[in-house]
Amino acid sequence: MSIVPISYCILLIIVSGTGIVRYRKLTMPFRVLTWSVPTILVYNILSPIFSARYKTNAPILQLECITDFTFYLTAYYFLFKNKLIKKTIVTSLFIAFVFFCINAVFFQPFLTKFPTYVYFPTQVLFAIFSLLLFKEMLMYPLKINIIKQSTFWYNTAMLFYATTMFFYFGLSNYFGDHNFHDLIIYYFWYFILFVFHILIGVSLLTDDKNIADKNAR
Amino acid sequence: MHDESIRVLALLTTAFFAGITGFIIYFVVLYRNRQLKNKQEQEQLQAEFRQELLKAQIEMQEQTLNYISGEIHDNITQVLSFVKLNLKVADYGNEVVKKKIEESRELISQAINDLRNLSKSLSFEHITKLGLVKTLEIEVERINNSGLIQTNLLIQGEYYTLGEQRDLVLFRIFQEVLNNTLKHSGAKHLKINLQYHPELFNLTVQDDGLGFSADSAAKYSGLGLNNIRTRAALIGAAAVIESSPGKGCCVIITLNPFKRLYDDRNHSDSFG
Repeated sequence: MSIVPISYCILLIIVSGTGIVRYRKLTMPFRVLTWSVPTILVYNILSPIFSARYKTNAPILQLECITDFTFYLTAYYFLFKNKLIKKTIVTSLFIAFVFFCINAVFFQPFLTKFPTYVYFPTQVLFAIFSLLLFKEMLMYPLKINIIKQSTFWYNTAMLFYATTMFFYFGLSNYFGDHNFHDLIIYYFWYFILFVFHILIGVSLLTDDKNIADKNAR
Repeated sequence: MHDESIRVLALLTTAFFAGITGFIIYFVVLYRNRQLKNKQEQEQLQAEFRQELLKAQIEMQEQTLNYISGEIHDNITQVLSFVKLNLKVADYGNEVVKKKIEESRELISQAINDLRNLSKSLSFEHITKLGLVKTLEIEVERINNSGLIQTNLLIQGEYYTLGEQRDLVLFRIFQEVLNNTLKHSGAKHLKINLQYHPELFNLTVQDDGLGFSADSAAKYSGLGLNNIRTRAALIGAAAVIESSPGKGCCVIITLNPFKRLYDDRNHSDSFG
């Protein structure tokens, strides 16, 4: 295992540690987010093990896709005030889960394929919900500085992740078609993950239940 | 070709990240503007609420004072008038007793007169009918007659009307200052100055009493002083209270006569 994935795992440990240490001070969406990080860490540790033992890490990636989607959308559910959007989130979760099962059985088998048919729509949903949450933040601005708002950091992380993933896949295909060295893509992938989890870490650091309650009154 | 492709990709990547960063920065700026706008709106609402509350408090005070004025005029002075009448018709025979009765009748007359003047100074209808200058002149005469303090009234500039509401509030401020002077200052002289400039009106009330420091004013919670400031603010005036120990106290009320009294355009005094 090279230095980059190890560094990434260390970052995940730091971010989950931050969430766990501050767990009592966190609001519900960020408590959910806290548990997403060690889950990703576990998947990242299991992935090379599976690859080495079973010559494929597709099951890990399949599970990671659906659990990430569940965690992040659940966090969004608690962040939104709009009841219609909350209902949409619940419906999306249900539909995504059903589609995931159908996809895993019929289109992109669970044991052998990466679930791109599930992955792309989930990224689109992340981008849409992050933009909707930015809009809601503008409608109900809080008194505290935006840099100190955990919702801002989480939403920025999701928007960054969703949009750069599409860019990444586009680049990946282009590099593959033109037989370019895939080292750039490799580092770019980890760059996205690093930035995403650093932003998640900042959101866990800035979230505070007391400040949230005070502003809610 | 390879280099060209890499260059294009680098440019695309840069543009992509610049786009995301630009969006985030734009959002932060927009959010900050929204926060400021919200804060301004909240402050305005709070100011309007405070204004409305003050108005309600002052209206209640005026109604109470008016009621007391009515009671004094209708009940107490009437009763004293009957007492005076009864004393007049009584036949005591004895010269010494008659003299005492006459003295008592004079004291009752004086009491009736004082009560009538007090009733007038409490009644807002009377004050607004006569105007600020006339009301102050009557009040100065009453104070001088009481012998408590020597009062002078000076009017400078060409007189113009400030409006009923402003006249009433300014008179109440004067009464508050007078009350403080008589209770706390031990002053011998009180000067009242009305300055009618074209774009500015000043009411200055100055005494030669003990004066006070800012600390001692705060210690006694300065309720009267706060009342002066809040009443002045209600009519869009500024109240400055200058005093130091041993140098008396000077209260200056400054008012722009052309400033709108209330934001409510429908209010009868909205243009003062």
